Amino acid sequence: MNLLDSVRESVGPAIFDYAVSPLLKIMVLIFMGVLPLISYLVLAERKILGFMQVRLGPNRVGPWGVLQPIADIAKLLVKQDIIPSTAIRWAFILAPCMVVAPAFIIFAVIPFGPSAAQSGGQLDFFITDVNVALLFVVAMATVGVYGIILGGWASNSKFSLLGGLRAAAQMISYEIPQGFSLVIPLLMAGTMSMNGIVQAQFDQGRWFIFQGWGLGLVAFFIYFVAGVAESNRNPFDLPEAESELVAGFHTEYTGMRFALFFLGEYANMIVISAVAVTLFLGGWHQPFPNAGWASFLNLQWLPLVGPGLAGVLWFSAKLFAFLFVYIWFRGTFPRYRFDQLMDLGWKWLIPMVLLTVFGTGLWKILQ
Amino acid sequence: MSAVKNFLDRIMLLDLFAGLGITFRHIFKKKETVQYPEERLEPAHRFRGMFRLDEDRCIKCTLCARDCPIDIVYIDWHQELNPVTEKKEKLLDRFDIDVQRCMFCGLCEEACPTKPKSIWLTSKTYELSSYDRWENLYVDIDELQDWKIRPAYTDKEVV
Repeated sequence: MNLLDSVRESVGPAIFDYAVSPLLKIMVLIFMGVLPLISYLVLAERKILGFMQVRLGPNRVGPWGVLQPIADIAKLLVKQDIIPSTAIRWAFILAPCMVVAPAFIIFAVIPFGPSAAQSGGQLDFFITDVNVALLFVVAMATVGVYGIILGGWASNSKFSLLGGLRAAAQMISYEIPQGFSLVIPLLMAGTMSMNGIVQAQFDQGRWFIFQGWGLGLVAFFIYFVAGVAESNRNPFDLPEAESELVAGFHTEYTGMRFALFFLGEYANMIVISAVAVTLFLGGWHQPFPNAGWASFLNLQWLPLVGPGLAGVLWFSAKLFAFLFVYIWFRGTFPRYRFDQLMDLGWKWLIPMVLLTVFGTGLWKILQ
Repeated sequence: MSAVKNFLDRIMLLDLFAGLGITFRHIFKKKETVQYPEERLEPAHRFRGMFRLDEDRCIKCTLCARDCPIDIVYIDWHQELNPVTEKKEKLLDRFDIDVQRCMFCGLCEEACPTKPKSIWLTSKTYELSSYDRWENLYVDIDELQDWKIRPAYTDKEVV
């Protein structure tokens, strides 16, 4: 603590509180939480996909394949790092970082557990509580696309370029329904702060997915479909479409640079799931937090679990459910054709989301 | 009516959920994977594996060598007086098969006039990979008769 205090003295309390301290917290969260989660998410994906295809998945490295992620990371780190001679060098190097960084920055506004005041503990289980958190999420999620386009462009290869341009078209189409679908929980809660939205769901006694004549469910559905498209996952993985474009925007990438794109994709999955949990599924609260009969769900009968850890556990449980759905989609659906993708985005999701926003406004007035 | 049903299907995404159900059920199914070096499947009854030869049954007619479409069966023999029966007998000097070029067509087995066949391929021995094609895939008579020097490839006895 002394070291932190002296740093706070030297850079000035304002800069420390608003820049240095959140960055440090993000680093801790990412290195302690998100990176291990991602590496094991990859393993879980391979296992579950294997099970869905009636095979075993990786099972050679360690029991049940649990050391596979470590072997993968070691392989990626020692692989030869190739920059094509025709590539635009600085853009080629910059692109993977531009994909990963925004995905990680979004973790700054996601509350994954109760605050110190709520849990009576010492730790805040969130990094910052910004009052425009929702806008921040939308803005940062958009920045990630630039990395993909830049990577596709800088590679100087037709496959990469096609992949990058597909990513651009897809993002433009799906950003609109996604952005609008975030308006619905915003209308329901009356605040843009993530903590505020969680609190509003607690106060109204209902997850927003069940709120407002079922409009919450529609909004949630649209958000999730658009989110799958945003994170370039099946069935919307057109930017990397293996069967058509070799590997799409990361065709020319090897080793750790490729791994960064990979990391970005999985971090995006986690971010979109975490935002969905926060906005629609009550955040870190247990189900039925206000009902007396459901009080056993607070998990505090478990050893070592206080209110803070219980919140984190519930948040992770909901998050994992979402990540499972992502993997489930990948195991189930074939890739959309490009015109079908545009059809779905512009002819179905955008009208649907506009109607839903209108309906939610009506619900808010009549309430 | 069917148009309405179609529209409802499209709105409710029923077919998509049906697909999700199928993949979910498959998670709990028994897996088809054979963990190869530890587990092996026994080849089918008429599977053509590596050759075997029975020298006692063989009448040294060399029909197998003649019928081989790529001439990889090499047979040398000579006649010798058997001191016990006082009859001339054919004796093998050499019976080599250059398996590296073999396509396992089984014509040699078909051509064999003895009953039962003195050369046959239904041996269920299929792990023929080696680091050196000349060392391990050019088999002579001893090797053709004795598969003990090659591992047993099924839990069952190699026929």
